[in-house]
Amino acid sequence: MSDIDAAPSPSGLPALRRLAVQAALPIALVLLLLAFAAVDMRVLSLANLLNIAQQTSYLALFAMAQTVVILTRGFDLALGPTVSMVSVGAALAMASGVAAGYDPGLVLLMGLAAGFGLGIACGTFNGAVIALLGVSPFVATLGSYNIAIGIATTLSGGRPVQGVPDLFSHLFYGGSIAGIPAAILIAALVGIVLHLVLTRTVYGRALYVIGTNPRAAAVAGLPVKAILVATYILCSTLAALGALMMTARTGSGEPNLGGSLSLQAIAAAVVGGTSLAGGRGGVGTAVVGALFVTILSNGMNLTRIDGYVQMVVLGAIVIAGVVLDRIRLEQRG
Amino acid sequence: MTPTTGATTGTTAPGTAHSLASAARPHSLGLLRRIGFLPVLLVALVAGMAATDPQFYGPINILNILRNTAFLTIVACGQAMVIIAGGFDLSVGAVVALASVVSAKVMAVTLAAFPGSEGLATAAGVAAGLGAGLAVGLVNGLCVARLKVSGFIVTLGTMSATTGVALMITSGIPVYGMPQGFVKEFGRAQFLGLPTAVYAALLVLALMVFIQRRTLFGRYVYAIGGNADAAVVSGVSINRHLVGTYMLSGLLAALTGLLLTAQVGSGQASLGGDRMMLQSIAAAVIGGVSLRGGIGRVEIVALSALFLTILGNALNLLHIDSRLQPVFLGAIMVAAVALDELGRRRNARV
Repeated sequence: MSDIDAAPSPSGLPALRRLAVQAALPIALVLLLLAFAAVDMRVLSLANLLNIAQQTSYLALFAMAQTVVILTRGFDLALGPTVSMVSVGAALAMASGVAAGYDPGLVLLMGLAAGFGLGIACGTFNGAVIALLGVSPFVATLGSYNIAIGIATTLSGGRPVQGVPDLFSHLFYGGSIAGIPAAILIAALVGIVLHLVLTRTVYGRALYVIGTNPRAAAVAGLPVKAILVATYILCSTLAALGALMMTARTGSGEPNLGGSLSLQAIAAAVVGGTSLAGGRGGVGTAVVGALFVTILSNGMNLTRIDGYVQMVVLGAIVIAGVVLDRIRLEQRG
Repeated sequence: MTPTTGATTGTTAPGTAHSLASAARPHSLGLLRRIGFLPVLLVALVAGMAATDPQFYGPINILNILRNTAFLTIVACGQAMVIIAGGFDLSVGAVVALASVVSAKVMAVTLAAFPGSEGLATAAGVAAGLGAGLAVGLVNGLCVARLKVSGFIVTLGTMSATTGVALMITSGIPVYGMPQGFVKEFGRAQFLGLPTAVYAALLVLALMVFIQRRTLFGRYVYAIGGNADAAVVSGVSINRHLVGTYMLSGLLAALTGLLLTAQVGSGQASLGGDRMMLQSIAAAVIGGVSLRGGIGRVEIVALSALFLTILGNALNLLHIDSRLQPVFLGAIMVAAVALDELGRRRNARV
């Protein structure tokens, strides 16, 4: 039961207690759903469940993006503005491609290249400033937060960018396989791949080591700086993917798309059990946290709870989630 | 940017990395290091603007700059104290809004209940506004100190909750009906040509400098941020002082909310917000407050608030697209902290 173990699955913990600790939030989720269903049965309708799953897939992607950097004791305040910037950049690239009369496939490629290019650029900036210059993640990403907002609003002139081609919207939003919408499929696929990367690759394990004890990681010979840069690029790339999916949904490049997403995604990850102290968390905590937040707001909407009250509830939930996590950790230790 | 400003004298907590570094500092750079880069940048900015645009030193523009600096300085002073103790306060923007709404509502209600008694209404409103700020600070502090939750997450939660409460009170509509005296004789009044807010900021700044240097609370805050374990061993009751920093931050944010309300003439849930929160952290960090805790002086933070305000003003006067302005702010902030970090590394090596 040693805390020295860097893995999120301490081998000494009795399996049953471990299950109880891990299942606490999923159980709370089911109870929450049932409570809302008691007020309004529509909560449990197939249409609403699919709706919840679809809404969750966006937030889950962003929470996963935050999780990888939170594992290394960082976070990305610039995630929201990155989403706005990618949305505007991709939409502009595709609109210009359509205007020039290019082949639809080429237009799609231009959009993806612009979107992911901007995301990777943002991640590289964050990673380089944090890892190479030694600036704290807070300041570095607060800086890129401002820069990305400036770029997003300047590129778009502050107005939505129209002219997103149908192929793009179909691929990232409208399409479905066996009745499951594209957004859910993409998020699920990314989740599985990211889970394998975090648990089965040397890179993934290195993130946990760095988060648990950065000095030990450096002494053990891990290329900490390179890994940090790669992780911030991974974070922004995931954010860019989510941004493309949201752009496909709205059908236009929106300079305000990111809004308060940075903090929402951090909150979802942390509520799910990702530790801001680093080294604990994964795809599971991100998805569960995103589900929790989405179900909560969906249920409150359906039971017609005032939007302002919802903000108060969400704030309280975030704090309660972290306190519970703290208690769980102490029981374990 | 200002590795020196904290290390010039013995004002940093004893035993921090800075006091060690200052001993090993080469003397050639001594003068620049002692003043810091910030005043140099500030003078360069002012001189450059004065040369290019006569509007810049027009009385209206200068009053405008001073007023906005005053608001930012007051919030940033509280933020700086929290950061020096090793925390964060993301809720300051929301507290500005809450204090504005609560004070306006209480004033309006009191004035309606006791017509003509403007003094009573003003006093009740001010007390309620400041009380709201203290309450949010108390919740923040208790969660951080007692429950051992990181300040980032706690204040992220209270930020959302506080904004929600402010919007609930107003339903998003500005609150009118506060005493005319509060607006005319306080908010929009000028003494010796300067707005009230400027005097309030100077008073707060003087008090904060005194608190930081001459009171046990101020010294303990440095000690807690510098090395919490060492502070415990030395007999400092950490929890009480941590709660104190968050309450101070809440109080100062509420004071800014009151000043803004008096100037605008109505209680608004849109005052403050994320922008004020981010700016207060930027002002503290550019002003040499270390996010690792234990280092920072409020007078330099005030200087950096002045710098940020003039920078925004200059970008406006130079007709730089307002949409592009955040890019400058972001780049300058990262550069300032990166310079600070590089300077620290060089010092450590010597």
